[in-house]
Order: sequence, then structure tokens, then C-alpha cells
Amino acid sequence: MLQVLNLAFNYNGSPILKGVDIDVRKGRMVTLAGPNGAGKTTLLKCIAGILEPAGGAVLIESQDAGDMHRKELARRLGYVPQSETLRFPMTVFETVLTGRSPHMAWRPSRKDLEYSARIIEEMNLGDLAMRDMDSLSGGQAQKVLLAKALAQEPDYLLLDEPTSSLDLHHQLEVLELVSGLVETKEMGALVAMHDLNLAARFSHTILLIRQGEIFCQGTPREVITPENIHAVYRVEAVVRHGNGHPYVQPLRCVADNENA
Amino acid sequence: MPAMNATVETLCRRYRERTGYKVLFLCLSTALLAVAIIAGLSTGASGLSPAETMRALFRETGRTHSIIWMLRLPRVLMAALVGFGLGIAGTVFQAILRNPLASPFTLGVGSAAGFGAVTVILFLGGGFQIYRVAGSAFAAAMVSGFLILAVARMKRASAETMILTGIAQMFLFSSLTSLFQYMGTMEQVHEVVFWFFGSLSKAGWHEIGMATVLILAPLPLLLRRGWDFNLLAGGDESAMALGVDVERLRMWGVIAGSLMTAGSICFTGVIGFVGLVAPHITRMVIGSDHRFLLPAAGLVGAVVVVAADTLGRTLWTPRVIPIGIMTSFIGVPFFFYLLLRRTREYW
Amino acid sequence: MAGHFSPNLPCGIDVWGAVIKKALHVSWLTATLVFVLVLNGTAAFSASITVQDSLGREVGVSLPVNRIVALNSDTLEVLRTLKAEDLVVGVFSGINRESGFWGDLVRKPKVGSWQDPDMEAIAALKPDLVIAYSRNPGPLLEQKMALFGIQVLRLDLYKTETLGREVMVLGKLLKREKEARLFCNWHRQHIEMIRRKIDGVLTRPAVYIESYTDYHAAGPGSGGHEMCALAGGRNIAAGLFIPYPHVTPEWVVSENPEVIIKAASCGNGYTLKDATPFNRRRDAILNRPAWRHITAVSTGNVHVMDSAIWTGPRAIIGIAYMARWIHPHLFTDLDPGALHRQYLENFQGVSYKGVYVSDFSRRCLP
Repeated sequence: MLQVLNLAFNYNGSPILKGVDIDVRKGRMVTLAGPNGAGKTTLLKCIAGILEPAGGAVLIESQDAGDMHRKELARRLGYVPQSETLRFPMTVFETVLTGRSPHMAWRPSRKDLEYSARIIEEMNLGDLAMRDMDSLSGGQAQKVLLAKALAQEPDYLLLDEPTSSLDLHHQLEVLELVSGLVETKEMGALVAMHDLNLAARFSHTILLIRQGEIFCQGTPREVITPENIHAVYRVEAVVRHGNGHPYVQPLRCVADNENA
Repeated sequence: MPAMNATVETLCRRYRERTGYKVLFLCLSTALLAVAIIAGLSTGASGLSPAETMRALFRETGRTHSIIWMLRLPRVLMAALVGFGLGIAGTVFQAILRNPLASPFTLGVGSAAGFGAVTVILFLGGGFQIYRVAGSAFAAAMVSGFLILAVARMKRASAETMILTGIAQMFLFSSLTSLFQYMGTMEQVHEVVFWFFGSLSKAGWHEIGMATVLILAPLPLLLRRGWDFNLLAGGDESAMALGVDVERLRMWGVIAGSLMTAGSICFTGVIGFVGLVAPHITRMVIGSDHRFLLPAAGLVGAVVVVAADTLGRTLWTPRVIPIGIMTSFIGVPFFFYLLLRRTREYW
Repeated sequence: MAGHFSPNLPCGIDVWGAVIKKALHVSWLTATLVFVLVLNGTAAFSASITVQDSLGREVGVSLPVNRIVALNSDTLEVLRTLKAEDLVVGVFSGINRESGFWGDLVRKPKVGSWQDPDMEAIAALKPDLVIAYSRNPGPLLEQKMALFGIQVLRLDLYKTETLGREVMVLGKLLKREKEARLFCNWHRQHIEMIRRKIDGVLTRPAVYIESYTDYHAAGPGSGGHEMCALAGGRNIAAGLFIPYPHVTPEWVVSENPEVIIKAASCGNGYTLKDATPFNRRRDAILNRPAWRHITAVSTGNVHVMDSAIWTGPRAIIGIAYMARWIHPHLFTDLDPGALHRQYLENFQGVSYKGVYVSDFSRRCLP
């Protein structure tokens, strides 16, 4: 289990995250939802070891992530950022291969090559394998980044807004992939999203974050209510239920001084 | 299952093929360098034919033997060495600064070395004291490298911090150099100007020995870290998430790059453009896998400098067109050619 | 008035008034004319001489010239030769580097460098004449000085061929013809003596002249080349067109010169106690790789000369040294040191001091 205990993070003295507690079990998908600026990306970076938290701890199977060597952490956590700007050309295969780095000594072995190839195959990226990253569409690039994270053989995936720049088809494709991995490979996934409907559809648990603090958490049905939406998103909305999970119909925005 | 295995096999094979091409390129570049060195050895102002040159190589004594062994061979080897060092240093700086416009001189190493040289030329004995000039240039270059590291430790070893510090240093050392030039006599200024054009005439066997140590020493470290440099391409965060200690890698990169650059130019003066163009030319042919890019860019740089020097000595013989000017003349058109041919959007 | 209609005259004005008006006009014109004539007359009495400057232009300089700004050391040296140093009101800033040689002249107000003078500083001194090299600083100097009504004269004073004529020009301007003639005769006498001896020579030894920067030869158009020719040497770089060609060490080896002469700028030779700085440079040349195959190196015929006697008014002394090195048997009784003493004591008014050339190498003793 991936545990986040009382995590805090400051930037230039102002608190960005306060007292965040999260549990992510293997085989479960947890979504971090909330408006832009709430701190979702910061939280994921703190967990991935990219930013150093001001307080609190991250435990992976009861081991403190802060004590772990970076490579060791990379073998447990696969972090997929929202997007990556590549300054120098790389092919799809090379990009996925870099995901094997935590397992490499200083050059890729035969096993690393095969593992990467297998993941590329499983994700239907075979035709793109020798193409340059910059020739791919947004959706394809996102899949490659996901493949790279999977090449790390992680226990847990951290995904930052994996669907924000994708069209409807690719949004569902990526989330179905992740969902499938969570189930079949017993991975835990912590996904940051601001689209509530997608969150509701795919997650086991949703955490609503507002201004760096956890506003509430629970199953989609529990969390997605008009009151919560109003409080966190400052939006008046109607929540309906269908096909087993809630979906949100936003009506209008709420001004700052209006009350529910 | 067997079908999937076949595709996996195909993918692996195709990747290995590409790697094979990169190795082939390394071999070809080495061969090209050998040809360039032989061509350089065969040309000179004393009018020896290539046959005479080859005979003189193996003759024991005599004037032609001295010319080949004491003048031409050191000159051509120094050219290859300097090109090698600058090509690799340029690649390293482009990788750690994540900037295709970076060169060995982006962080101010060249300006600092120039300042060191000017100090000796004006105040500490004069340009004919080759070792003093070289020592001072080298020391100044390393000081500038360490300044970058010091600032990086205090703030954060990000690419932007380093570039900004480097630019500030460049202006500082350039202005100091200009100030000293302003205080100097016409002859001293002339000397300084030509130091900034670069010159291979002062290369002897002792100098080659020292330069070899300085340039080849950081090489094993860089080759070992070749794969980590690849990870930097995706960004600091992506590299960190894959287990790379990015700040440490950047610092070692600065040390190695500064050492190679300083070692290259302290005896020859500033030779520009090679460190910028060699990595690009190489990258356009074999891509960005630094395990191959680093040595290949070195070889390409060596070929460029040897060819540039040979041309510079023959175009207007017996006059010499300074090497720094020749590298621009050679590098630019070839670079344009590749630029117009490329299909990729970026580098 | 009847029958005589004059439209310009309003009726009622008497003609007498008109006549007075006309008379006033005429007298006014006459007065102006007289005034102008007188002015011209007085102008004709303040002298103005036409001289030819180093660019070959005929330039008018109004006299008297009592306040001079010397923008470079060659000019100041000639002024001292002409015993006109008290006319100097402003000197070049670099004079501090040679303070031993110039004595009290160092205390004169500074006006900037020889190629980048401080126009305001010059104007503040209200000189009658500014003397500068023919090409540097550029024509901007004349433009700026014209705003203050200050004259500028372009004289090089460092080329041996034209030095005599230029010194006479200055002598005429400053009413120091006697001193000018004295120097010119001395200068011409020694140049002619060397030239006569060289004329009879059948072969000119090959000489490699190196300028201040290593491996930069002195080619046609440079002072070193001119001096070498006058001293009877054959400059191996004579066919390389440009004044300071950068050459390879290999080329010098293949040309195999018999004499190597290098220019050095070691501060000021006047204050040196021994030849160490020159000897160091000489030894560096002797030790250059593969150069032991050069005749000049194997016989030790490598010499280093200070910039003070390398071009400039004292080039004759540099030429004398070169002549001795290139044709030692021809000039056995030529003593460049004695020449230098004559110059410094008689023309410059300072005692003979300092070291200006390297010692003879141990390999070659005269």
C-alpha cells in the first residue's frame, strides 16, 4: 500500500499542501480531483520524489520513500507527467526503453529490450515504434509516456492529468488501459484529473482537493454531490446517476460571495 | 503468443539494427579522421610531395624528418585532439543545459580563458611564454567552471541558473579583457586578438601530452553516464522520476566539460563553432543516444578541425588563415546543408 | 516739379533730402570697403605657410605656432630634436609608460591615446597645432578640431624614407630650421653610408623578420620590411603582400634564413639594466622545435630588437644594428651604440642609457 501521511509543502513560504493523507492500495485506482491550482500536480511530485515536502511522509509498503535511493523509488513508482517537451529527437522505442533505467546498470540488456518491446506490443504501439516522438499525435504521445512508466515495472502509477489534452476517444482509451492494468497487474494508481465524470466512471476512490487540503474522500457516489461540487469548484450543478455511477451536469458558476 | 513473440523479436531486431548503424558511423568517422590526418600530414609550406612525406616519416634524421615529426605531426594531432575535446564538450553542455544552442563557451569558459591569457600577455611576461599563457588560461577557465558550480549549489543546479550565471561570467570576463586591451600597447592588443582567433603553430609534443591528459581524463566518466544523459532530454522531472540524480549529473557534466574545453583551448586559443556544430551534425545522422553521440561528436569535431587547419594552411599558402576563422568557414555551409535537408522539426 | 512726375517720391518731400540719403548710402559702402581692405591687409601681414603633409596634401598652417599637442611619441621625439619641447602643451596618455626617457615632459597634460584622443582635453589646452599620424585617428579629428578653430597636421615621422622631409617641414613651421637641418644631415649621412656599402653587395642574405606576435612575419608595407631592405637583407616574406602575414614554422624552416630578427616591446629599453627580456625571447626562438635546421639558429644569428629603435625617428639605429647582423664583414666599423649615444645626447638631450637589443648568442660570437 502507498501511504501519504500528513504531507505538507511550501513554496516561497506560502503553504501549498497541508495535512494531506492518502491511501492507495494495489488493485485500486484513486483519483485526485479538484480545480486548477488546488495542488494536485504538486502532490504527485512530492510523492514521486521530485519535490521535497516540508513535512509529513510517504510510505511504500511501510518503507519511508524519503529514505529510499532514487533508483529504488523509480522501481516502485511510475510517474507520468502531463506532457513532456523533448529538446532532442528520440524514437518511441528509445523513449520506452528509458523507462527501464531503474533496472539498468549502465546500458540496456537484452532483457530490457525485450521487456520494452513487449509493452509496446501490448499497448498497440508497434507500428509507431521506430518513429520520432515529435511526429506523434497528443494521444499517441500520452500512450508512449504511459508505456515508459510501465517499463519501470512499478507497483504504483502516478498519473498527472493523463487526459486533459486528449479527444474523447483517446481519453477513454487511456483510462481504460490504466483501469485494465490496475485490475490485471494488481497495480495501484493515483490519478490527478479535473474531469469529474471520467473520475466517477473509472475510480474506486475519489479525493476532492481544495486549496491544498483534502476536502473530502470516498466512493464516487459519496463524494460527487452538488454541495461538494459547489464548495470545491464553485459551480452549481446537478448530479444524476446512471450506468452505476454518478455524472455531473454543470449549470452555472457561482460568484465568490454567493452562498449555496 | 508465438505471434506476439515474433513481433517482439522484430522490434528488438530493428532496434539493434539501428544501434548497428551507429556503431558503423563511429567506425566510418574514425576512418575519415585517419584520412584527414594523413591529408594534413601531406600538406605543408615546404612543398614536400606525399611520397616524400611518407618516406620522411620513417627516416631517422634530417631536415624533412624534423619537419614531419616536430612540426606537421604535432600540429595535425593537436588539431584532432582539440576538435575531439570541443566536440564532446559541446555535446555534454547541450545535454546538461537542455539547449541546442549551447556550446563549450556558453558558460563563459572561453571568455575566462581569454582573460587568463590576456593577463599574461600584458602583465606577466608576454605571449611568447607559452606555458604561462596556457597555465593562466587553464586556471581562469577552471575558476569560471567552479563559479558555476558554486552558484548552482547555492541556488539550484537547474539549467537556467547555470546559463544565466554563465552569461554573466561571459560578460564579466569579456569586459575585463577589453579593459586590459585598452590599457595595452598596440603590439599587445594584436597578440590578444590573434589568441582569440586560435593558432595551432605553438603545438609541440609536450603540449600534446598535457592536452591529451586533460581531454581524455573525463572521458570514461562521460561514457559511463551516456545513458543518463539520454534521460535528461525529457526534462529534469522525468529524469528524476527515473532515478537520475539530476543535479549531481549536471555538476559532473560542468566539471568534465570545462576540463575538456580548458584543456583544448589553453594552448591554442579560442577555436569557436566546432563545439556547437559537431554535436548537431552528428545528431542529425545518428540521433541522440549519448552512448554513441558523445564519442561520435568528438570524432566529427576532430575531422572538422583537422580539415579546417589543412585548408587554412593551403588556401593562401604560405600564409595561415587562423583556425578559428576556418572552422566557421567549414562548419557553416555544411551545417546549412544539413539544416535544409532535415525533415525533423527540431534538432 | 511740374512736368516731372516721380512715382517713388511722395509729393511734398524735397529733393535735397533724397540727395542726403544717397550720400549716406555711398559713404556707408565706402567705409565697408575700406574696412574690408584694411582687414585683408592685416591678414596679409600675419603669416601662413603651405606645407605638404604625409598624405601628400598641401595644407595651409597659420603662424605663429606656439602651442603644440603631440599625439604620439614619434612626434614628441622629433619636437625634442628640434629643441621645441617647451612649445608642447599636451601629450599622449601613453607617455607614462616611458617616463624615464621623457623626464619632465611626463608632467604635461594628457590628451588621450594616439588613435583615440580626448577632443575636449585638446580643446581645453587651446593649442595652435595638433600633430597626428596620417591615418589614425581618422578625419573626425579635423572635423572636431575645426569647431574650435584648431589646426591639425598629419605627419608620420616613422618612415625612414620620408623622415627627412617631414622634419624639415616641422622645422620650417616652428622656425627651427637650423636644428632640423642638423638632424637631417646627420640622418642622411648615415643612411647614405649604409646604402653605399649595400649597393656594392652581390647577394643579400635571406632574413626572417618576425613582428611582435610569434609567427607573424613583417611583410611588405610594414616598418620591419623597410628596415630590412635598407640594411641589405632579403626578407623571405617580401612576396606575401600583407604587412603582417601569419606563417607556419615549417615555412620558415624550408626558407632557411641566415638571420632572424624579432621585434619586442619590453616596456621601454631606456630603463632596462640588462638584455634579459630580449635574451629570453631570443632563446625561445632558438629552442623552437625543428628550427635547429635553420642556418640562422645553428649559427646563433638570432636577434631581438626593442620597439624604441624599430621604426620611428630612431629607425636609423635599428637599421644600423640590422646591417651589422646581416653583413657583419661589411660594417666592422659601424657602431650602432655610438650612433645611439650621439642621437640621445645631441638631439634628445638625455644621457645614453638602456638596453635595446639581445646579446649575441653563445653559439655565434662576433
